[in-house]
Amino acid sequence: MTRISRRLRKWTNEVLDLPQDVLLDLPRITLVGNKELTVENHQGVRHFSENKMILSLNQGVLEIEGAELMIRAILPQEVMIEGIIRNIKYTGMGESS
Amino acid sequence: MKIPTLSGVRGCVQITVRGEGINRLINALAEAGIPVWDIRPASNNQTADMKLLLRDFHALRPLLKRTGCRMHVARRIGLPFRLAKLYKRKFFAAGIGAFFLLLFVLSSLVWNINVVGNEKIPTEDILKAAKEEGVRPYQWIFRLKEPDKLSRALSLKLPETSWIGVERKGTTITIQVVEAEKPEKEPLASPRHLVSKSDAVITSIYAEQGRPLVQKNTRVKKGQVLISGILGDGEARSQVVVAKGEVKGLVWHEYQLEVPLVQKRKIYTGERKDKSYLVLGNRAIQLWGYGKEPFAKSETLTERDPLTWRSIALPIGWMTEKVMEVTETQETLQPEEAKKLGLEAAIRDILAKYGNDSQIISQKILHEKRENGKVYMKVLFEVEEKIAEELPIVQSQGE
Repeated sequence: MTRISRRLRKWTNEVLDLPQDVLLDLPRITLVGNKELTVENHQGVRHFSENKMILSLNQGVLEIEGAELMIRAILPQEVMIEGIIRNIKYTGMGESS
Repeated sequence: MKIPTLSGVRGCVQITVRGEGINRLINALAEAGIPVWDIRPASNNQTADMKLLLRDFHALRPLLKRTGCRMHVARRIGLPFRLAKLYKRKFFAAGIGAFFLLLFVLSSLVWNINVVGNEKIPTEDILKAAKEEGVRPYQWIFRLKEPDKLSRALSLKLPETSWIGVERKGTTITIQVVEAEKPEKEPLASPRHLVSKSDAVITSIYAEQGRPLVQKNTRVKKGQVLISGILGDGEARSQVVVAKGEVKGLVWHEYQLEVPLVQKRKIYTGERKDKSYLVLGNRAIQLWGYGKEPFAKSETLTERDPLTWRSIALPIGWMTEKVMEVTETQETLQPEEAKKLGLEAAIRDILAKYGNDSQIISQKILHEKRENGKVYMKVLFEVEEKIAEELPIVQSQGE
């Protein structure tokens, strides 16, 4: 994305009051209690084990720690994780891409 | 996002994947758009279980090769696998199918036909008419016509009925018949005269059909024609009919009566003893009621009760003998009472012999005497009774 297009998007976002994930390709993370986590707009699974999962995002990484974690379902844009979730760490990479 | 619908019907497999790049495999699957679900890593982090549709199983192989994973099938879930299993047991499956098919076939046959409500029309006739309409045992139910059409067709075929209802309940067909009321046919009678039964004096004559030959107060002899069955002059133009009518006349009956003055009468005292026998063929084995009879005078009443099977008496049965005590009483009558008894018995005899509507006009005691403890009487009764008797007319064949 060029500078101009990004600024244009930011501007439309401000003017039209649209949600960020629609325009800026940001992940939308939904957490249901500590049992279910849905991540939309993910970029793949980086690490995958019973206690820890790392999902790639558009910008940065999402680390999930817990117990008995499992992927309930996975689609190109969406992943649903079930288990006992204890810790979610979002490691952003700033504005760079 | 969700698990594919009807995965049980479409068939899915649970596979266990082993290898270093499990997460790469998952990413590859997600990118290829192959739905996988329930991805569960094992605790040693070397293997993972996952489920995918049977349809996508072949697309899995190149992805495995590319990511360097190995897998084996842990569980087969769903209808396609069950069908395959059932296919191995073909005859069992065929048996299940054949059972339901047979059940369906047999329950779509007519098994029974009941005919209800007919009294004069034979059941066979109704069944025959029904058969012509296609209602017969072992007929397919779906080949039968509608019940209302059937009942209309049947009532056309059976004119003696006023209504016919056809009802099907399961495999039984009930044909309900209401018979048409028809006047009863009179018994056929051949041409006849009415003649006198005995010597009499006519008191009334009423000819319903035929020609009366006598009048009231005529004296007739036995065998004389009272109402003739020949109408006309007895020549060429005459006609022969069945004479009908009622003729009453006075008839005299003479009775010789004897009534004993001492009347003996038997009376049951009510004391009873039962004996029971088992009958085998011609022999009877006494089972109960042994012992001496305690009665001075008794009467025995025997009841046989053979075993029957469909109105056939079997040679095995039961027999009871009732030994009932009897006392005899003697009664001495006055001559007047004896006379009355004798006359009453004679009147009863007349009514029984000459019809209940006979009337005693007068009674005359001609002679009366007492001898040997009995009353002897000679009585003449004058009775008005029906005297007509039928006499067939024999057609003489002309020469």
